Amino acid sequence: MVITSVDVIQSIIDGILYGSIYALIGVGFTLIFGAMQKLNMAYAASSIAGAYCGLGISAVLSLNLLVTFFLGPLVGGLIGILVYLVCFRFIPSREHLGSLMASIGALFLIDEIIVHETDGSPLNFPELGIFSEAYFLVGEFGFRGDLIFVLIVSLLAMTSIILMLYRTKYGLAARAVSQQMNAAILCGINPHKVNASTFFLAGVLGGLAGCLAAAAVGVISPLLILPLTIKGLIATVIGGLGSIKGAIIAGLLLGGFESLFLLVRGVNERDIYVFLLLFLFLVFKPNGMFGSIIDRD
Amino acid sequence: MTVLSIKNVSKRFGGVLAVDDLDLTVDKGEIVGLIGPNGSGKSTTINLICGVFPMDKGSIKLFDNDLKGLARYERSHLGIARTYQNIRLFGGLTVWQNVWIATRQNGIGSFAKKLGALFLRSQKSVEAVDELLDLFALQNKANIAAENLSFGEQRRLELARALASEPKLLLLDEPAAGMNSEEVQELRDRIFKVRDLGISVLLVEHVMELVMNVTDRINVLNFGKKIAEGKPNAIQGNALVQEAYFGS
Amino acid sequence: MEYYFGILQTLGFHVLLGYSAYILLLTGQLSLAQVGFFAIGAYASGILTVLFEWHIFPALFIGAIAAGCMAFMVGFPALRIKGLMLVIATIAFSEIVRLIFFNLRWRFEINGLEVGPDGAQGFREIRYFAANGWEIYEIVWLIWTMVAVATILLWWLDQIKAGAILRAIGSDELAAESSGINVTSVKIVAMACGGVIAGLSGGLYAHSTTYVDHNTFTVLLATFAVSYPLVGGLKSVFGTLAAVIFIQGILIEGLRFLGDYRTILFGALIILVMNFKPKGIVDENFVKGISEYLRLNKKLIK
Repeated sequence: MVITSVDVIQSIIDGILYGSIYALIGVGFTLIFGAMQKLNMAYAASSIAGAYCGLGISAVLSLNLLVTFFLGPLVGGLIGILVYLVCFRFIPSREHLGSLMASIGALFLIDEIIVHETDGSPLNFPELGIFSEAYFLVGEFGFRGDLIFVLIVSLLAMTSIILMLYRTKYGLAARAVSQQMNAAILCGINPHKVNASTFFLAGVLGGLAGCLAAAAVGVISPLLILPLTIKGLIATVIGGLGSIKGAIIAGLLLGGFESLFLLVRGVNERDIYVFLLLFLFLVFKPNGMFGSIIDRD
Repeated sequence: MTVLSIKNVSKRFGGVLAVDDLDLTVDKGEIVGLIGPNGSGKSTTINLICGVFPMDKGSIKLFDNDLKGLARYERSHLGIARTYQNIRLFGGLTVWQNVWIATRQNGIGSFAKKLGALFLRSQKSVEAVDELLDLFALQNKANIAAENLSFGEQRRLELARALASEPKLLLLDEPAAGMNSEEVQELRDRIFKVRDLGISVLLVEHVMELVMNVTDRINVLNFGKKIAEGKPNAIQGNALVQEAYFGS
Repeated sequence: MEYYFGILQTLGFHVLLGYSAYILLLTGQLSLAQVGFFAIGAYASGILTVLFEWHIFPALFIGAIAAGCMAFMVGFPALRIKGLMLVIATIAFSEIVRLIFFNLRWRFEINGLEVGPDGAQGFREIRYFAANGWEIYEIVWLIWTMVAVATILLWWLDQIKAGAILRAIGSDELAAESSGINVTSVKIVAMACGGVIAGLSGGLYAHSTTYVDHNTFTVLLATFAVSYPLVGGLKSVFGTLAAVIFIQGILIEGLRFLGDYRTILFGALIILVMNFKPKGIVDENFVKGISEYLRLNKKLIK
């Protein structure tokens, strides 16, 4: 097969549109990292679990597809709070590996529960109605309707998160807790409440990302969890640990990069190159694209 | 002979100029005090000397070695040791091990010797550790985990650990914080003992009882700038210093 | 009998995997790359005995060294930066290794039979032991000799300065570096040592099961590797040993009738231990309790 420049650009376009899901997951990791300086490794797992629950509830009550897109994020947020309680709230922070390891445990706990409940087989996720049929042609390039929907919804969600962080009282409290925990406590802020809200918000984003990923792929499967975890983390690192803007841009670019290597090297080798990209950044630009200089400590 | 010379050093954190064009020297066998109100840049100065973060401008020299760009462990090998404002010990290790860790294994001798020090307990290092524990009255606690020591003992252990690396310059960051008058007396005697070992000392301290009685020379910082320098009794009467402290 | 020998073999691989994570955890770093080193050891030594018809011992040795070199190369960029970066880098590394072996096809005919790694089909016919007439108890003996040697070495580590340095870094990096320790290089060396042990374990694993494929080398196995020292506690190397016996011997093998609920239990176990015993089960109080118990027994016997 001859790969033309049109093919290359087309695949990058598709990839960037799909990359908005990585951006969402990356923003979620960043929110939690910003709040507690910790990684929540169970994040992508709880996102997919949220989407599963949304799908399950809508199926049982035979509700409209749009309702799934509300239920998924909601349950994702609730699972987020649960993960916070189980893995972060009560583990003393001087055992700095405790929460990290617990969240890895939660990752496999959630993963295995999903595998167990669905007997390991993927479920069909409903198509996006008119969006999945739409296809826009601009010159030689096409834009898939469902992916445009994914991009728009993600951008809306991320914008509202940023507005919340910088325009609301919650956001002020969240930033206060992350910068000066003790001073914030003295001002009467309850850091546990604020952190739980951050986990909820991140979980909502994750549940949305889970639903969008499932809708774009057409099926939902526990096999989505690990790649989503790793690619979300890579977006976070490449963008610069702690930078929301960086996570968004890196997520989109990561999607384009992935899609390009899908075209050039095929589906079996694609992820090797995506993951190697991380090491490229670790060697040459360890602070990422927008990260502040990370103290080595 | 000048042990430490700091020239035109500046450090900015965001909008705050924490250290502003600072000059400071410490001579051999001298105990130099560094005082100033909270936030005047004293701890920042110590952290710049140790390489906790890089400076923006200026130069810091230990003897003839420019410290610019050297890692923290390299500075330790050159002969800088320190204690911390909030005590930082290796909590899970025993008192003996805490001191043992810092005994010179690097920088001296061949590669084989350095490697050997990692695997063998040389008689020399054992003696050095025991001697230090004796000096700081910790010998009977040698096998207790450092985290189980009392506050005063932890302070002494930190000092013992700092001396184990055979430094030429010792940086003390508020060693008397939280001590009663009797303990301050003990600390003063220990600092003199350190000086008698031929080690120069830079002392950052709020407790005037200690600073005035132990130092040969005092530097006063305010808003990152040096506003006065001189003998302790001269500093006590300095109007600028009083203004910095009391704002009068 | 075969069944119990099989379990002993499995325990052996896992103990070595746990040890490989233990060394690095002493410095306070959590690595999910141990499974990648395990896979490299398995494939490298398998290729050497099958395709190049080497003797088992040099093959195991080269497999371990190859894994160690790889560990060095991963550790170098990742350990210069924040601790959390290592987790991200190593999880990506393990998946890279798994995907490379998923795509690796390197086969040619040896003695009229086509052998070698066959991509997604896995690497079959690693039959060194059978072809050279090793009995199963001899294989078990070999594995557990390695385990014993590793245990003694790691126990010895706590008697010498090198071990104290590792623990000092795990306790306070800044203070360790200001005390003259080159923290980054110590961590990288610890990572490389861990890689060697994991690689050795992988080589033993490949030859005793005679078959490996990419599906074995998942992040789940990497999680098992770090969970042993963390659940067992870093107080001593015997915590890791005890945790392997508890998790693999009792939770995974003993509760076979629970089927795939066991992996769910594993996740829950980690969460529980981290919440209620963040220093691991074999912590100071546990050790104190045991030694007091032993002392009591001695008195009773007298």
